[in-house]
Amino acid sequence: MAVPLIAIEGVSRRYVTASGPIDALRDVSLSVDAGEFCTIIGPSGCGKSTLLGMLGGLVVPDTGRVLIAGRPVSGPDPRTVATVFQDPGLYPWRTVVENIEFGLELQGVARADRLRTATELLGPLGLRGFAGKYPRELSGGMRQRVAIGRALAIDTPIVLMDEPFGALDEQTRMLMGEWLLEIWRRTGKTVIFVTHSLHEALALSGRVAVMSARPGRIKSLLELPMPYPRAMESPEIVALRAKLWQEIREESARAMSDA
Amino acid sequence: MKADTARIVLIQVASLAVALATWEGLARAGWIDPLFVPAPSAVARSFGSVGALAMAGLADTLAKTAVAYVLAVVLGVAAGVAVGSLRALNDVLHPFVVALYGMPKILVLPWIVLLLGYGTAPAIAYGALHGFFPVMVLVVGAVRDVDRTLITVARAFGARPWQLYLKVILPAIVPSVIAAMRLGLVFCLLGVLVVELFAGIRGMGYVMGSLANAFRAPELFAATGLISVASIAIVLALDALNERLSRWR
Amino acid sequence: MKTAVARLALLAAALFAWEVVARVGSPLLYVPPSAALPALRDLLLLRSYPDLPSHLALTVREIAIAYALSVVTGLAVGFALGLYRTVGRAYGPILAALYAVPSVIWYPSLMLFFGLDAASKIAFGFLLGFFPITLAVLAGIRQVNPQLVVVARAFGARPLTIFVKVLVPGMLFTLVGGMRTGLALSVIGVIVGEILGSKAGMGALINHAYGLLRTADYVALVMVTLAVIAASDVAASLVERRARRWTE
Repeated sequence: MAVPLIAIEGVSRRYVTASGPIDALRDVSLSVDAGEFCTIIGPSGCGKSTLLGMLGGLVVPDTGRVLIAGRPVSGPDPRTVATVFQDPGLYPWRTVVENIEFGLELQGVARADRLRTATELLGPLGLRGFAGKYPRELSGGMRQRVAIGRALAIDTPIVLMDEPFGALDEQTRMLMGEWLLEIWRRTGKTVIFVTHSLHEALALSGRVAVMSARPGRIKSLLELPMPYPRAMESPEIVALRAKLWQEIREESARAMSDA
Repeated sequence: MKADTARIVLIQVASLAVALATWEGLARAGWIDPLFVPAPSAVARSFGSVGALAMAGLADTLAKTAVAYVLAVVLGVAAGVAVGSLRALNDVLHPFVVALYGMPKILVLPWIVLLLGYGTAPAIAYGALHGFFPVMVLVVGAVRDVDRTLITVARAFGARPWQLYLKVILPAIVPSVIAAMRLGLVFCLLGVLVVELFAGIRGMGYVMGSLANAFRAPELFAATGLISVASIAIVLALDALNERLSRWR
Repeated sequence: MKTAVARLALLAAALFAWEVVARVGSPLLYVPPSAALPALRDLLLLRSYPDLPSHLALTVREIAIAYALSVVTGLAVGFALGLYRTVGRAYGPILAALYAVPSVIWYPSLMLFFGLDAASKIAFGFLLGFFPITLAVLAGIRQVNPQLVVVARAFGARPLTIFVKVLVPGMLFTLVGGMRTGLALSVIGVIVGEILGSKAGMGALINHAYGLLRTADYVALVMVTLAVIAASDVAASLVERRARRWTE
């Protein structure tokens, strides 16, 4: 049994707010193997973003630990983990290419090299011809592709995605999902994908972790061994969708009544 | 659209012409004392006699303003970035900064002249002091308004603190820095002129002060007009610069 | 709580540093707090400047008149420019251009016209306070939701009623903010005018003390003047807060 690439062991996190302490996560454990596409799904406020923050080294767990390749996470490590946020967070004063090469620039990569890497990514990103454009000239979907390109440019084994398509309309979402799948299969990276969308969870991932309402724990894990591209109308998927919805529904209802 | 703008310009020009004509008429008819309010024709004629003096004074003032301005902007931006990015510092200092900003700084001018004597030093110091506060306050606001996501992204990609400042915060506040620079220039110029008027130091302020004391109204009006035009021209130039540098917005 | 303590500590440290630097350097020039406070006491007891009250009263009167003029003119011009679109578009840019000019350049002309009397200070204070008020009126009018006016007119309201019941409440907050800035600037205008040369008023006293190198008295006079200014600003902010509660 190979050592999992990512091991989350019993992490908890509490936030102190003006209205009292909030337990975002309580005793969460999860392990992810290299090359997996693992989705985390759950109701609002269940701590998905906090968990992702821990993986990315931006949030420190109160208890437990996060191991990547056997070593504990102690801060953002751009050699192993790249993150894509729901808000693309592109720098408005940088062109598309300059945004993509941002991570490389921070690491001190030579100008010619990072320009080459960024330009080569334009093709797969579907942004050929937009190299010199500024973010305000791009659509929402294009901006998110630039953000994903920025994450891919630093070529990390792990890519975290926090509801990357959340701000896009449904049709764009589905197209972006297909495109992402293609990228994943070509690069073989390990992807942790946070979403609200059942469709995305079922269409994209090999494994789905369902989180409970706050305080978040991993409520259940579903394996999706089906081949790609997913036949969304097939009986297995339909059954899984029903099961998934059942799991999530309870938690969503709890989250709504808590709020 | 064009016709509309033309109408506006016509109104402006016509109003100006009517105002000047009325003023000239009143002056000639003796309704206003030429000692205090000279006729426009007299003002125009005096450009010749006061021109050289005024230009020399203006050059002097602008030179001092330039030095004060560089000081005010450099210190103001540095202080603004420091106070704006360190929340603890900002919270503690905020009321002091507001109080100092709102205080008429001319109250300390006599002391500054006492300290630095009668020369260019107090003009530069006071001009810089005058321009420093608006610049700093604007920059503090801009730093605090930087989109948090942009900072989180940089941290997620492993940016070290100096990289955060250089590659995220500074580029993000450029538009506000330019607005601050525009504001700061007028304040610096104002400060320098006040010192020249107060302490009788060489420069446009001194020229205008002596013209006033000598009751040379036409020359004074001409000089006032001259520095107004210069000031507006500089501000317009800064605005044009602002446009050029904001291509990405 | 922690910030309040930090601020007090900062203030105490600053006063302490000032005391030390002043003693080590030149106490005459730097006026340590230990010298400033007795001077302040002497001033308030009318020992150093027995006619302080009349000077103070004059300065306050100048500020009041200058500000009153700014408000009346500022409101009039502001509404004229704001309510009559063509007028506004024609003269608005001219106003904005004038605002870009450092205000002190008008002062020599005022000095020539009014001499060193109170009139020149009042005129300068008026000039400085006028602009922010006018600009606030314009900004306030611009941000009133036009839909509210449409609705009022649909209900048959006459122009005056619309003005009083729709326009004024809608722009009150912006207007009050501009009037507060106008007060601050009128104050600065009067003080600047007095210090640049006057026969009476707080500025004249300050010049007098400074001219005779009575630095401690100078510091005390500055403190008293600042207290008056601070009081006026506090009063203005209270009015602003009341206005905010009205419009929300």
